[in-house]
Amino acid sequence: MLEEVVLLAVDETSGGLRSTREFGTAYALVGAVFFDLALARKIDTGTEAIHIVDRSPTGSATLDRVLAAMDQRGDLTTVRQWIDEIFHRRDDLEGEALSSLIRLGLLRHEKSKRLWIIDVERFPLVDNRPQRDVRLRLAEAILSDTIPATRDIMLVSIAEPCGLLGYVLSEKQLAARRERIQMLCNLETISRKVAGAINALDATLHQGIPRMM
Amino acid sequence: MIQLSEETRSGWRVVSVSGRADSEAADALEAALRSAVKTNARVAADFATLDYISSAGLRAVLEAARAAQTRGSEFAVCGLSAPVRKVFEMSGLHHVLRIHGELPC
Repeated sequence: MLEEVVLLAVDETSGGLRSTREFGTAYALVGAVFFDLALARKIDTGTEAIHIVDRSPTGSATLDRVLAAMDQRGDLTTVRQWIDEIFHRRDDLEGEALSSLIRLGLLRHEKSKRLWIIDVERFPLVDNRPQRDVRLRLAEAILSDTIPATRDIMLVSIAEPCGLLGYVLSEKQLAARRERIQMLCNLETISRKVAGAINALDATLHQGIPRMM
Repeated sequence: MIQLSEETRSGWRVVSVSGRADSEAADALEAALRSAVKTNARVAADFATLDYISSAGLRAVLEAARAAQTRGSEFAVCGLSAPVRKVFEMSGLHHVLRIHGELPC
């Protein structure tokens, strides 16, 4: 799911990583790690506590690193605490997901200079089908009235609080399906908790950032 | 631990689930429900003796409901205990599942 989040964030024309809100992509990557661990049956949650249920490797260096780090933090027992902790370790997530997509031949890495000084990195799509597939899955999950696959429910519930759904559907379409989007975000325990934790983290960060105007 | 048993009543295939539906049990729960959905037009998951359901357990139920919808089968969840009902209600699963107080058969 990490790679799917990055694919959603890549601008298909410029190759830049875009975000409609501050930390939007970072939040989405943190949520994606969480969902990947849940889908791999490494973590589980009841109504309150979250716990590791399987410490064996997943085969993904990123997930295994996060899992090992969280295993050391027995004092963190809620999704909110985990999200906060992973967010503060987020620096590698974007780079690792980009590297994975480059290895898979879906993106290429380009470096250039702006005004002869500023380094600019771009990640143009080599093959735009995977990005189109992710968008189509999200659009289908939102626009239809059928039960989506768990993975797509999770993806909607990350994309919504992180401002990525605007790359999938128009504002008018999103407004018309607002109730459906909220229902999907609530439908799965971990999704609901992750979306709630991301919103709470965002509120906390913005309380801590003084306005410059 | 989870215990699963099945019987047919008045045209409904009833999958009775007891114990804890957590990550350890989720695969078995999903497999039992999907198998019932595959071969029956009406399937009820009887959770009257289910003590606990985690996120992984809910996903198993959701995937079974999705399989039923794809096949055009009826799928119902019945007899939820208070703590399990709370989890279902918090998740809003009543929006996509038929939830009955008692078995529909």
